[in-house]
Amino acid sequence: MNIITGKHVSRRTLLRGAGVAMALPFLDAMRPALAAAPPAVQRLGVVYVPNGIIMDQWTPAELGSNFQFGRILKPLEPFRESTLVLSGLANPAAIKAQGGGHAKASGSFLSGSVPKYTAGADVHAGKTFDQFAAHHWAGQTRLASLQLGCEDSRMIGNCDTGSSCAYTNTLSWQDPDTPLTVDTNPRSVFERLFGSVDPSLSPEARARRSLYRRSMLDSARESTQKLERDLGTADRRKMDQYLTSVRELEQRMTAVDADPRIPTVDKPAGIPFQFSEYVKLMYDLQVLAFQSDLSRVSTMMVGREGSLRTYPEIEVPDPHHPLTHHRGHPDFIEKVTKINCFHAELFAYFLEKLRATPDGDGTLLDHSSIMYGGALSDGNQHSNVNLPLLVAGGKGRGGRHVKVEANTPVTNLFVGLLNGAGIEVDKFGDSNGRVNLSA
Amino acid sequence: MVRVPAWIIPVFFVAPLLADSAGTLAFVQKKCIACHNASVTSGGVDLVALRNPGTFSKNREIWEHVAGKVKSGEMPPPGVPKASAEEVHAVTNWLEGEFARQDALIQPDTGLVAARRLNRAEYNNSIRDLLAVDLPLSDTFPQDQAAFGFDNISDALNISSVLLEKYADAAEIAVRTAMFGPAKLKPAVSHYPIPVRLNVLRGGKAPALDFTNYDLTGLSSRHAAHTVHRFPVDGVYSVRLVLNGHRPNQSMPAKIALWIDSKLVDQSEMDATDLEGQLIDFKIKVTAGEHLVSGSYLKELHGLPPSYNGPEPSTRPPGALISTRGKLSQKDIETLRKTGTKLKSDAIETRVDHRFEAIDIGGPFEQVSAPSQQSLSRVFVCSQQTPDCARRIVSSFGYRAFRRPLESSETNRYIALYALARQNGEPFQEAVAIALQGILVSPDFLFRIERTTNPSKRTVVFSSAPISIGDYELASRLSYFLWSSTPDQELLNLAGQHRLHLPAVQEAQVRRMLRDKKSRALVDNFAGQWLQFRNIDVVRPDAGKFPDFDDSLRYSMRRETELFLENIVQQDGHALEMLSANYTFLNERLARFYGMPGIIGPEFRRVDMSGTQRGGGVLAQGSILTISSYSTRTSPVVRGKWILENFLNAPPPPPPASVPALDDSKVGESASLRTQMEAHRAQPQCASCHSKMDPLGFGLENLNAIGQWRDSDGKIPVDASGKLPDGRTFQGPNELKVLMLGDRQAFYSVLSEKMMTYALGRGLERYDRQALRSIQASLLKDDHFSTLVLGVVRSLPFQMKRARETDSFSAKADNQ
Repeated sequence: MNIITGKHVSRRTLLRGAGVAMALPFLDAMRPALAAAPPAVQRLGVVYVPNGIIMDQWTPAELGSNFQFGRILKPLEPFRESTLVLSGLANPAAIKAQGGGHAKASGSFLSGSVPKYTAGADVHAGKTFDQFAAHHWAGQTRLASLQLGCEDSRMIGNCDTGSSCAYTNTLSWQDPDTPLTVDTNPRSVFERLFGSVDPSLSPEARARRSLYRRSMLDSARESTQKLERDLGTADRRKMDQYLTSVRELEQRMTAVDADPRIPTVDKPAGIPFQFSEYVKLMYDLQVLAFQSDLSRVSTMMVGREGSLRTYPEIEVPDPHHPLTHHRGHPDFIEKVTKINCFHAELFAYFLEKLRATPDGDGTLLDHSSIMYGGALSDGNQHSNVNLPLLVAGGKGRGGRHVKVEANTPVTNLFVGLLNGAGIEVDKFGDSNGRVNLSA
Repeated sequence: MVRVPAWIIPVFFVAPLLADSAGTLAFVQKKCIACHNASVTSGGVDLVALRNPGTFSKNREIWEHVAGKVKSGEMPPPGVPKASAEEVHAVTNWLEGEFARQDALIQPDTGLVAARRLNRAEYNNSIRDLLAVDLPLSDTFPQDQAAFGFDNISDALNISSVLLEKYADAAEIAVRTAMFGPAKLKPAVSHYPIPVRLNVLRGGKAPALDFTNYDLTGLSSRHAAHTVHRFPVDGVYSVRLVLNGHRPNQSMPAKIALWIDSKLVDQSEMDATDLEGQLIDFKIKVTAGEHLVSGSYLKELHGLPPSYNGPEPSTRPPGALISTRGKLSQKDIETLRKTGTKLKSDAIETRVDHRFEAIDIGGPFEQVSAPSQQSLSRVFVCSQQTPDCARRIVSSFGYRAFRRPLESSETNRYIALYALARQNGEPFQEAVAIALQGILVSPDFLFRIERTTNPSKRTVVFSSAPISIGDYELASRLSYFLWSSTPDQELLNLAGQHRLHLPAVQEAQVRRMLRDKKSRALVDNFAGQWLQFRNIDVVRPDAGKFPDFDDSLRYSMRRETELFLENIVQQDGHALEMLSANYTFLNERLARFYGMPGIIGPEFRRVDMSGTQRGGGVLAQGSILTISSYSTRTSPVVRGKWILENFLNAPPPPPPASVPALDDSKVGESASLRTQMEAHRAQPQCASCHSKMDPLGFGLENLNAIGQWRDSDGKIPVDASGKLPDGRTFQGPNELKVLMLGDRQAFYSVLSEKMMTYALGRGLERYDRQALRSIQASLLKDDHFSTLVLGVVRSLPFQMKRARETDSFSAKADNQ
């Protein structure tokens, strides 16, 4: 269904101009923030593709620096020097877990913790490494982290044979009990970054609006505090969550008020109909967030595990997930490979945008570590070993294909990524060492 | 979850039952433990470990499973000596009796439901009923998490600062729209390209034109165009139909019609053979909201040249209309012939492939910008611009928004917002708007908070014994259950008079609420999630395989299911009719799709389906059959699982690790695959689920992935026969349904469990079984829909709640 709302034409302008043309005026607008930011801030990103990969089309045959890009990763060839392909990592937590093969995989992926098998509200997994970084850098940016996705999570019923949808709807868990909601609407991501203020309002009108809104929040806080005296523990927990939201919103309003610049790019109108436009717009927003140091951490799900998206634009009219249970059928394998390639092409767009954006003494790509891949290798078997993973970005560590010892926990890579971003940590989740990213 | 394990104790000491429990354990020893022991834990079940007297209550869930499997004949599986009918009867009877006995010993408990945040649907509906504005406000909210299959479960509904900011924005839009009218929008254009669905243009063979029996509105035709568009406000919009394709020359002018939600709103003519790029512009008034916009050719096969032998042939001379953009003169024709253009004696254009290239919707123009009288009267309970009137407005709005009277200190809090705005020089109405926005971001509106005690007489109860909830809380429980919205004036009045808890008053209110159109929320939110037909809005059947699936069919399928269920809810039909009905609701589009003759016109009407192959009930409906299929094909496994989960209350467990999902992609294409699936089922680890799942799904194989009847799939005739694990056989969907109806109890138990979960906003616990048993018993006697709803409403957990638990008690419970 077409879910395009509002200003269709300007949305296109934004999309088409999303390359260098848009970045430059934006950069000007953001200069004060950039000047204030310390040089060479590190960013961490995760880009997730679902349902496994056709591994023999992904994994380069050669190890070391003389490797050749296979069919799926071919679109990343222009970024060879920024690409470190990692083979052999596994996700032991998923292997230990109970429940649907997809829920186990994405539910444990970034935390290395076994997700509880439940379809109810008592979901439980582990704090994920992106959130570890977000909390480490908390307060230094307007938003601690972004959770983006290109597939509506409005799923009904349980999502994977008795496992809660929470395990497939998001990658990021703030703590073991709290999955973070993925934002799938570009407009809402934009408003999260820049506030929802109508830019046509005069400064006085904006100031008054801000005053009233703060007063409303004050009175909401007062009534909640008064109310809590009458409530039981469970209700009080809900109200505490509400009060936390009030506090965080006030902090964000303070940040916006103190720095009331309005981005010179148009607000996206909604979700673009074309999937490729949609994904690119979500990548654009991450570039905006990184570039203006509004956030340093993001996770993005190009699709959810179990995704049934069809790809008629690349001649794959069949839903993705059942195709991946190909049982060796060559037609199915070819179609899955096409989807894998298409996702990699779109990812190359992201890298191109990062590389085209100057940042400190280099480019945004130099100061980012973006992990790309998924929590399943062979989707047909729901396999959790030899995961398809690569790290893009950083300086002087790409251009290689490295194979780690078989069954090395993927959390070892997270330790390496956190260390590389300047966060001291020896152990994360079920890690038993560290994947050293530098050559 | 707080669980009280006290009920375990008595079971240990009930000696007389041990003889029968010993008998049951002996049966298990004989029939089960060869496959269910510590080393071979088939299905993850080790029954050896359970050989102790306490097991039947301690491991209740496992034993319920055992009883179910043995009763249905799934266990012992094929290959193991069958148990005799007497043995099965004795064992399952004893187990069921034991379960009932255990349940009777459980202390009544209401469960614990923390303050429920309004979910997206509830938020929109509440604002609609409070302010008489219908806005898709919650579309921009982060998605609500679902649990236990529903998105109104308290524990899963969290709040974040992102959502709170959206609430503040939504409150501003809602209040300003109600008081000052909709915001002025700049006109914008949306472009909807229309996919080509004519086989001939996709390299296929065009179906022969049927002149004698075709849809005169054109809406069922592949030549029509449909799109769903959200119109942001009431106003005038431009709709441009971009045409494409051809009509033979000499044809009468084409009649092009514009439809909104299948209602004809305007029409126009186009006189040309080559329609490519021809434009037809309409200006229409549309109300805000999502609408199906359609373009079609009226009587599209009428008025063709006489050589087509169609109805009402053209009366024009043969030379008429052979130009791409109008008429050619005789001289032009001669010139064309001289330059080598082949002109047949009467035509150069013979194609009948008129269609639409795109629909462009622009607007709003002449937008409605004044507030509605209805909205104004909801807000302004008085008209003087005085502080006293402001106070009345705030307390009246607050009463409806908080679903209870405000304490004066609360009113003061929002009046302070009004006063602040006045001090800053805002006009009276602006200041009132600020106060009302404050009310709408308050937790008392956003959450359904059930205070333990009546605020006027505070008594803190330190006990977990259930206490009755207050009348206002009851009003909210009822209205959010049946309407997904805020209580109306009548409910609030009855609550204010302390009469709503009286059984007769309550029953009358439930019946009134079900008859009210707002009970549509039960269809959208309860049934939409239980039967998952909400997904019909997002499925994308493969356009190559199913060129008939367009937005009009999608819309018609959804309407069919909605009307069917609304009818049961509002007219208090039998619950079992959901499965067994011999009627449905069709328009011409869907009737043609189903192959039902004689249904003319785009309006929906009740249609008798008795005696048809398809039959009635939701299992015969396109929406359900489509959402339980893949985009390119049906899957008996998916459909079988869907039926087990939603109708037979026997959700299959996840497949064992490392067993890939069964590849059923070639079903229908090669007969051997059915055989292959049977082989797959012969493996004991697969059999227990697939021997039940697959036959159910195969029973629906006559209905393809978008719910259209087929006798063969490709070259292979459809074999829709099946055999259930207990040996019963059936042939096709109607007989499958008859078998399912034989197990009414299973259907009632799913229905009552799902509805209880939805009504309470929490997962069900063991202590709820008493209530469920009594609802199921009353449904067996009288299964009117109201019996079900009243059963839920009268149940202990709906009428009562736990008194405030002490801190030490809940801390202990949390540690369990």
